Amino acid sequence: MVKNVDISLDFLGVHFENPFVLSSSPVGNCYEMCAKCLDEGWGGVVFKTIGFFIANEVSPRFDNLRKEGTSFVGFRNLEQIAEHPLEENLRAIKRLKENYPNKVIIASIMGQNEKEWEDLARLVTEAKADMIECNFSCPQMTSHAMGSDVGVNPELVKKYCQAVRRGSKLPILSKMTPNQASMIPSSLASIEGGADGIAAINTVKSIINIDVDSFVPVPSVAGKSPVSGYSGKAVKPIALRFIHEIHSCPELKDVPISGIGGIENWQDAVEFFLLGAGVLQVTTAIMQYGYRIIEDLTDGLRHYLARHNFSSLKEIIGLATKNVVPAEDLDRTFVIFPKFVSEKCVHCGRCVVSCFDGGHQALTFTEERKVVLDKKRCVGCFLCANVCPVNAIEKGEKVLKKDLGR
Amino acid sequence: MKEYLKEKEGLTPLLAQEEAARCLLCLDAPCSKACPAQTDPAKFIRSIRFLNYDGAIDVIRINNPLGGICARVCPTEKYCQKGCIRAGLDRPIDIGALQRFITDYEESSSYKALEPAKEKKDRVAIIGSGPAGLTAANFLARNGYQVTIFEKHKKAGGYLTYGIPSYRLPNEVVEKEIKHTLDLGVKIVYEQEFGKDISLDSLFVEGFKAIILATGYDSPRMIPAFLNNPYVETAVDFLSRVKNCDGKVALPDNILVIGGGDVAMDVATTAKVLGVKEVTCVVREDKEHLPASKKEFSEALEENVSVITGFNVKEVHENKVTFVGSNENITLNYQADKIVLAIGQKPSELPLNIEFDKDNLPVKNYQTEIKGLFACGDITDGDKTVVSAIKKGKEAAIEVMKFLEEKQNG
Ligand SMILES: Cc1cc2nc3c(=O)[nH]c(=O)nc-3n(C[C@H](O)[C@H](O)[C@H](O)COP(=O)(O)OP(=O)(O)OC[C@H]3O[C@@H](n4cnc5c(N)ncnc54)[C@H](O)[C@@H]3O)c2cc1C
Ligand SMILES: Cc1cc2nc3c(=O)[nH]c(=O)nc-3n(C[C@H](O)[C@H](O)[C@H](O)COP(=O)(O)O)c2cc1C
Ligand code: SF4
Repeated sequence: MVKNVDISLDFLGVHFENPFVLSSSPVGNCYEMCAKCLDEGWGGVVFKTIGFFIANEVSPRFDNLRKEGTSFVGFRNLEQIAEHPLEENLRAIKRLKENYPNKVIIASIMGQNEKEWEDLARLVTEAKADMIECNFSCPQMTSHAMGSDVGVNPELVKKYCQAVRRGSKLPILSKMTPNQASMIPSSLASIEGGADGIAAINTVKSIINIDVDSFVPVPSVAGKSPVSGYSGKAVKPIALRFIHEIHSCPELKDVPISGIGGIENWQDAVEFFLLGAGVLQVTTAIMQYGYRIIEDLTDGLRHYLARHNFSSLKEIIGLATKNVVPAEDLDRTFVIFPKFVSEKCVHCGRCVVSCFDGGHQALTFTEERKVVLDKKRCVGCFLCANVCPVNAIEKGEKVLKKDLGR
Repeated sequence: MKEYLKEKEGLTPLLAQEEAARCLLCLDAPCSKACPAQTDPAKFIRSIRFLNYDGAIDVIRINNPLGGICARVCPTEKYCQKGCIRAGLDRPIDIGALQRFITDYEESSSYKALEPAKEKKDRVAIIGSGPAGLTAANFLARNGYQVTIFEKHKKAGGYLTYGIPSYRLPNEVVEKEIKHTLDLGVKIVYEQEFGKDISLDSLFVEGFKAIILATGYDSPRMIPAFLNNPYVETAVDFLSRVKNCDGKVALPDNILVIGGGDVAMDVATTAKVLGVKEVTCVVREDKEHLPASKKEFSEALEENVSVITGFNVKEVHENKVTFVGSNENITLNYQADKIVLAIGQKPSELPLNIEFDKDNLPVKNYQTEIKGLFACGDITDGDKTVVSAIKKGKEAAIEVMKFLEEKQNG
């Protein structure tokens, strides 16, 4: 049993009993939803983004990308910000804090101009939120004065962060969009404007499926569909890249990061911590599986820390950062050859197909369905191991290129 | 073809992940409700799905100390898998295989779900080391009680060790599973028979504050007509003889098995696996009411066992048996080199001043009418299953703890 592993975390001066919170989205749309998730063990919530702008939403609004038998590889939505009236949302935030004083309630806000940002900051502070998250990143707002169009404009980001700082003394997170080549300019602008930390990522602009008979992208709203936000497992690699970009930037290296994007299980979570993220946020996995995934997130994280003899979560934050290096810094002097473990091999021949058609024609298949490696041709790319269904291909001999005459 | 000493392969990690992904992750999952031992399959399958294998070990071990055995021998079609909603779409989740995947993984890791208790509470004696006794011992030890099990045989496990054939449950698995309980500080003393070497009085005098009888249904039933017949052996004697010598026995060409339950199927399949040419089961019940589980029946058929249903024994003359059909006008004569009787088990005689209710020791909340004497497992309500013995062992342990706490508090 691993009851005693501490997974609490102090983040922007606020204590989180565990590092997992709902990210701002319909999973934290009202008091009842948030109360249920907190009861089930989540460390806190980022309430669905609120503003003076009240969204008028479409139907249907979701679609998911599949691959072979797997649904929800990624998820596309057409939602904007809160559909409920502002006062109702503020009341919900207040009641949550009253009834769950030890949980962290974060208010996500979005204004249309400086005054709205400042007013919203004041209103959520009065509602006793613990922290503010500025949503500069929704990619499907019906107005270009809001959302990711703002987030890619460092000047606007800075101006609105300053407005929020005027309206509140609470810690401020600035939530970034991945729909830009680099997150550094807008992150720096956020900090200059008065934000204390960065939250990343919001959804990725996408079109995931098109109905090939009617020529309409899915979800189709009366025969039309916009470009809109993509989330879930498929965006995890993009999120990790941006987390790394921020954490490894010298000017931003001490800025706390809240990691978001495709987190489903403890392993995903650990990857975010290892690249420098602190508190983590989740939406799509909850939409698919429910709040109950918190059980295996916290329990799995505790087991992981115990297995590696870490005594607190803090110790692992950023441990992988130094191992991500520019391509030019890699050691290019050797080749590792694949080792075929005959006891595991099921003789399907998938490695042979991929090596010829996508690799370097180094594998042949015998009459007896045995794989034979030609080291003269093999470049050690390991495409073969990637396609093997039974992990029968391991790392074998490591040889210097100069000894191979390459 | 089966080999007697080799169980079938378990799932690879890829296949386990795929099987767990088939699970619908139902709300208020019926599979978990249907497990007598409350092993909570819905929860551990979800942990597999989210790669939390150590968490899955916790779920299994905390609820079911013999989870690796249940994974192999539970008639899941009657329990967890009967509830599986996925069965309505195609086929149920193979819960036994996933449970085995996790307990096999546990054996290969250094992680331990259960740790010995720190405190030292009263001493409890358990008689019999079958699944019921072992489970009671595990729960008591975890809660700080000092447990000694008295076992009349040379090895622990009851029918796990002396009954269920190796191709379904190898002895190494039983030994490893028992070790989890020994690691909690439980002691087993072997070749100590209740009624011969020890008695209630001797145990109480020695300082045990409560005693649990978990001696099972350890003697075979007989049909009087077969008594003292040199061609006849009982099913449990046959199976334990075979298992004890790892299947290295000389067997004739033709065996007649009388009975149609799981034990009869085990005898028939074992005989076939060991190379007996002709094995025939003659069963009293008709085909629709065959007592054996589907799994065991189809395994027997796969090994080419002949099963004849709806015939009762009428007469026996040495190795010739005459059966009569259920409508009384068909008779069947069978001559065999060996006859194995698999018509059920019953408790053996125990030196207790308690009147049995038919073959069961009467209990109320696992307490017998003798103060401080508890009972659980087959002995309280008959020839059942491993998982029901586990359930009873667990519940009996809770009753013993209540009893001892009340005693402590005056
Ligand atoms: C051949 C066979 C196959 C089976 N297959 C399955 C199956 O696939 N799945 C399933 O769920 N169930 C199966 N069962 C049923 C299952 O094994 C029993 O229900 C279960 O073992 C009962 O557990 P228990 O602890 O009550 O008793 P037992 O397992 O019978 O254990 C009783 C223990 O008490 C000891 N003992 C008895 N008398 C004394 C005494 N006087 N002093 C000291 N010790 C004593 C015995 O030696 C034994 O170790 C099978 C049974 C048999 C016989
Ligand atoms: C249906 C839906 C609605 C969302 N609404 C908001 C929102 O109101 N404010 C916000 O900051 N992010 C919103 N997001 C983005 C998520 O908070 C999160 O950043 C993103 O989905 C990536 O995380 P995930 O992969 O765990 O879902 C929304 C996402 C989804 C799927
Ligand atoms: S009942 Fe079946 S589908 Fe539902 S949780 Fe259990 S195994 Fe999965």
